[in-house]
Amino acid sequence: MRKTVSLVLGLVCVVLLTFTFISAGRVLRSGWQLPREPDREQALYRLVLITQELDTPFWDRVGRGAKEAAEKAGASIEVWGSYDEDREDFLKKIEIAIDSKVDGILVQGLDTDEFKNLAKIKAAFYGIPIITVANDVPMADSLRRTYVGSDQFLAGQMIARQLLSDMGRSGTVILMGDSREEYYQRQRLNGIHDVLEHYPDVKTEYVETSDAKERVIAATQGAMNRIPDVSAFVAVKSSIAEAMIQEIGRRSRIEPYHIYSFDDSPNSASLLEQGKLDGMIEQSPEAMGRIGVNRMIEWLKGETVPLDTEGYHTEIRMAKAADAP
Amino acid sequence: MNSIQKKIWTLVAVVLLIMAAIWFALTYYNQKTQDRYNDILQRYLSMNEVTNASQQTIAALYNYLLAPTEANRGQVDRSKKALRKARMEVIVLRNADNDFALTNYMNLIDSLVETTDRSIMFQSEKETEDSSKAFSEATRISKYISEMTLTLLDTDLKTYDRFYRGIIEQSSELKKLGIWLLLSITFLLLLGTYWFSLSITRPVQKLTQAAKELSRGRFDLRVEVSSNDEISFLAKMFERMRVNINNLILEIQQKAQLENELQQSKLLLQESQLRSLQSQINPHFLFNTLDTLSKKAYLEGSEETSDLLANVAGLLRYNLKRLDRSVTLYEEVKVLRQYMEIQKARFTDRLRFHADIDESCLYVQIPGLTLQPIVENAVIHAVEPEEDGGTIEFRIRDGEERVTIEIADDGPGMTELKIKRILEEHTFETEGHSTGIGISNVVRRLRLFYGLADVIGIESGEGRGTKVILQIPKARRGEDDKALDRG
Repeated sequence: MRKTVSLVLGLVCVVLLTFTFISAGRVLRSGWQLPREPDREQALYRLVLITQELDTPFWDRVGRGAKEAAEKAGASIEVWGSYDEDREDFLKKIEIAIDSKVDGILVQGLDTDEFKNLAKIKAAFYGIPIITVANDVPMADSLRRTYVGSDQFLAGQMIARQLLSDMGRSGTVILMGDSREEYYQRQRLNGIHDVLEHYPDVKTEYVETSDAKERVIAATQGAMNRIPDVSAFVAVKSSIAEAMIQEIGRRSRIEPYHIYSFDDSPNSASLLEQGKLDGMIEQSPEAMGRIGVNRMIEWLKGETVPLDTEGYHTEIRMAKAADAP
Repeated sequence: MNSIQKKIWTLVAVVLLIMAAIWFALTYYNQKTQDRYNDILQRYLSMNEVTNASQQTIAALYNYLLAPTEANRGQVDRSKKALRKARMEVIVLRNADNDFALTNYMNLIDSLVETTDRSIMFQSEKETEDSSKAFSEATRISKYISEMTLTLLDTDLKTYDRFYRGIIEQSSELKKLGIWLLLSITFLLLLGTYWFSLSITRPVQKLTQAAKELSRGRFDLRVEVSSNDEISFLAKMFERMRVNINNLILEIQQKAQLENELQQSKLLLQESQLRSLQSQINPHFLFNTLDTLSKKAYLEGSEETSDLLANVAGLLRYNLKRLDRSVTLYEEVKVLRQYMEIQKARFTDRLRFHADIDESCLYVQIPGLTLQPIVENAVIHAVEPEEDGGTIEFRIRDGEERVTIEIADDGPGMTELKIKRILEEHTFETEGHSTGIGISNVVRRLRLFYGLADVIGIESGEGRGTKVILQIPKARRGEDDKALDRG
């Protein structure tokens, strides 16, 4: 009897103490984890990559390339920007970057006066170097140190050549572009014209539209009404390709038409996979980010001064629907 | 010897210690939490301070640009100072997650100050357009600062999310710990108090039990209390008392036994005296008569009869006188010879008596009338019934510590059983004894006299005769002598 009682008491004692100790352990373990201290050594350079199209596959890749390169070089970089080409926000980000006195700005060029103003006057005033990435703005307008990205003129030429080989030496081509006519778009058009002007049988029709989907649809409708015998489309700005193809598909079958675009829009790749695009210019966004950062750091360190004002062109290649899996 | 008090103090001290420990732990934890909360609040406050300072700077600048007075200028300078101070305070907020943003933030503040300065400079140079341009830029920067404050706060919330949750979790865990601690301590304390009170009351109970047993008269139970306090001391004293009482009782018992023995020997003596008195109807008359007879026989020429009568008279006198005191062996031997003379006259040739006596040891003390009854016994059993009589041999030999007296006959002997009964002092019919003293009486008196059991021995067997051996110590125990003398 006595033995049982003391056994039970001992058991209760052990259980209580166990729970108490477990609880005490939890109290001591939980919480109080302060965030990490900043790395002792400050990053050598603080760089900012600013784009108008955050969270798109193309710019994500640019950002990835840039971050890798920055990490290797011991610089810190942040990717800022606006969504859906919100220009106001984009410009504000640039201004903040300049006011924040970052060491260098990698920016998606925007061919507007405000941008040029910021780049030419304010950034220059603060002595902050700007490198345009993917989309260029001429140096004379922006005082950019250099441009890193595809040779858009060459891209236009490649599209045109592909068009010729697919369509033949005659036919009507509708070139559809943004009414804002940015520099890179003009370059692409120039490239296309540069090839096609040697083939008088190939007629080109340039259609201007704006970004809005309805406008693209309306423009496509208008163009197809005006030129019923059209045989090829080129979306000079890749973001209008989807709406354009949708409208074409609504009116007739897509297959007879030769449709081309560029890869710097979120849905280009899927359109190519579905076979709706016949060809697409593939660029090298990672290389753009990487080279952009490296050139910037070279310039900041004074290793390569001045940078090649013509720009550093990254690789481009033609992706054809036929090649797509 | 204040160990019960010590125990109570110890218990109280332990309880106090536990309470103090818990109190300190809780206070420490509380203080720590408070500090954390203060730090967190400080973070937010110092960020907010930047926003406020930047807005004030803009307001002051605006006022100054409108009315460039000295007072307004001072206002601008003061707000700029406040802004710089706020900037310094923000530096400590740096962590891995907001490193980049914080640097930007601080640079923005610098830009704001620079732009403000520029605006004032243009104003002083009367370049109103540039000045207002700079002002609008400053306003924008101030706006950016506000926005960035929010962004930083947002980042902070994200960064510190786990930290905050940790605090919340910890406080809830602390609540649980409190409950467990309360339960454990209550339980342990109850257990401890029970054990503690038992350690005091159990010895008391044991002592009570022992006292009860003692009061019932059981003095043979040990009083054992295994503690180290006053109770144990009491118990030890109690035990000593018990042992003492026990010893006293034993002593009393021994004395009583001794007294009893004394009483017995007294009774025995009185019995013998009574018997002798019975036969002592008129001893003087008897002695005188015997003497007269002896003289008359001598005068009539019967010398033998005269000697015989003298011997009888001597024997009778000895018998009456010497029973209650010790005599020397010499006297005993002398009486024995007188007795044997008488018996010789009776049995003539049938009784053959050989004495072999070492004269050097006749000085030893011996109770009166011890040899005569033994020899008489031998005569009665070994000589009287036999037609051609018997031989009695009497020997006294000196030993180292004892004198050995042997009385042997060649009679029919006796059985083991009988020897045993004799040595165990059973009374027999003492019929036929001239002195009225039986062998058992002799045995008892010898043992009482010397205080030794082996003072007398008997060797015998059927048809082998009987040999009685007395071993008399040369030195006697004095007190027995006295006791016997007193009787």
